[in-house]
Amino acid sequence: MIETRRLTGALRTAHPGTMAANFWRFRYLLWYLVVRNLRIQYKQSIFGYAWVLLSPLFQLLVYSFVFSQVLNTPSQGGVPFLLFLLVGLIPWIFFSNSVAAATESISGGGALVTVVYFPREILTAASVLTRVIDLGAGLFLLVLVMLVEGEPLRWSALWMLPLLLVQVLFTLGLAFPLAALNLFFRDVRFLVAVGLNLWFFVTPVLYPVDIVPERYRFIYDLNPMSRLVSSYRWAMFTGVAPPVESILWSIAVSLAVLYVGYRLFKSMEPAFADNV
Amino acid sequence: MPTTSEEVVRLEGVSKRYRRRESETLKEFLAAVARRKAAEPPFYALRDVSFSVRRGETVGIIGRNGSGKTTVLKLIAGVTVPTAGKVTVGGRVSALIELGAGFHPDLTGRENVYLKASILGMSRRRTRESYDAIVEFAELRAFMDTPVKRYSSGMFTRLAFAVAVHSQPEVFLIDESLSVGDAAFREKCYAKVRDFQAGGGTIVLVSHDLQTVASYCDRVLHLEDGRLLFDGDAEEGIARYAASREPAAAV
Repeated sequence: MIETRRLTGALRTAHPGTMAANFWRFRYLLWYLVVRNLRIQYKQSIFGYAWVLLSPLFQLLVYSFVFSQVLNTPSQGGVPFLLFLLVGLIPWIFFSNSVAAATESISGGGALVTVVYFPREILTAASVLTRVIDLGAGLFLLVLVMLVEGEPLRWSALWMLPLLLVQVLFTLGLAFPLAALNLFFRDVRFLVAVGLNLWFFVTPVLYPVDIVPERYRFIYDLNPMSRLVSSYRWAMFTGVAPPVESILWSIAVSLAVLYVGYRLFKSMEPAFADNV
Repeated sequence: MPTTSEEVVRLEGVSKRYRRRESETLKEFLAAVARRKAAEPPFYALRDVSFSVRRGETVGIIGRNGSGKTTVLKLIAGVTVPTAGKVTVGGRVSALIELGAGFHPDLTGRENVYLKASILGMSRRRTRESYDAIVEFAELRAFMDTPVKRYSSGMFTRLAFAVAVHSQPEVFLIDESLSVGDAAFREKCYAKVRDFQAGGGTIVLVSHDLQTVASYCDRVLHLEDGRLLFDGDAEEGIARYAASREPAAAV
């Protein structure tokens, strides 16, 4: 019953402001942890960092073949399907890889958790930041495909940057409680894998949201990832700013999730070292 | 902050309980909740321990294996929190608790120095400034670009000690780790420890080697089964501890 008391323990007075201050104070540590993560992940593979590019490329080709050629899924506003897909897929891969990696950030922390103290959110944030490499590679791929397809690069594409920041906050908000819970129950990472898979299909990555029947639309309206993915496309392909209500909804949900997620994380933090 | 400006570490009625088992799966947890089954009797690493350490003091902690010595260091380092009671620390702590604490096997010596220093709260510039001194002290100039997993345990310890001692802590926590290096290096470490003492630094030292404790500590704490049996003059404490061990050794 020790666990129950821990999990329902009183929340410490921690809020995202504390988090931001800790990120700044331990910014070097954050940086070295990101370097470490990258080094370890790609060190012993033959293609090394090329996998960052190869893995989304293969996904892109497979999805594009199945959905565009076999299932005849429409794109939006006359945009080539490959591009349409890519703009949704890149942020999704970033999101999905971040959440999966961050879930194991504390349980895989080893000696960093058991013998030295620093605010543990640094470990989780480093896992998320490490996956920015997926984002970078994806955006590079996107620019290449746009050049090949002759699609113009519009100023409104700059909207992607603040929106991606919102996505990072949302990701952190989910990653914190998942990373903490995974320490107490190793089932969490399996649940996360299943959950991300389901979530992928209720986010309009492989198809435009307008082919979804009206009665299911509310799921997409509530889902911030769906809002974000639609907004990214809007920014890339229309030349004007994405709908305000989508942006505001994404920001509101992200901040709320971050606030609650971070507090849950901090309330469980004292027990971390004894459970790794 | 400690209540008097002199105290840098203070433990008040501290107990630390650990579970005996590994963390459970969700299934076991839910089953336990459903049945309201009482958990196994917990294990107490520390029971109602109170003491404080003043600035500039060197305190040795002695006791058998499993008496709670390392737990005390972990509590002071803030790695783990007490189950009951309060731990207050009023200064920057650097701890050498386990061999190569916080080093990552796949990173090189150089990268680990920067990683470890950033954990200890050193800025990149300060680390760069003390980098040469660290490498010099560790005598590892030729191995700084080698991943530390290729290091011997002695090399590991040397680097860990070098970084910890150059991070200019106010409170330095040292576990057995020092006994790993060779005699010459150990001498060098102890010389550094003397310097640190002379500079007014505070040390909490855990060791099985009573001679080491006798030569560095003004005061000892004797722990037995998680209880504090003795807190006072080093010579007296060591004598008592040695006496308490003798009958067992004779058998």
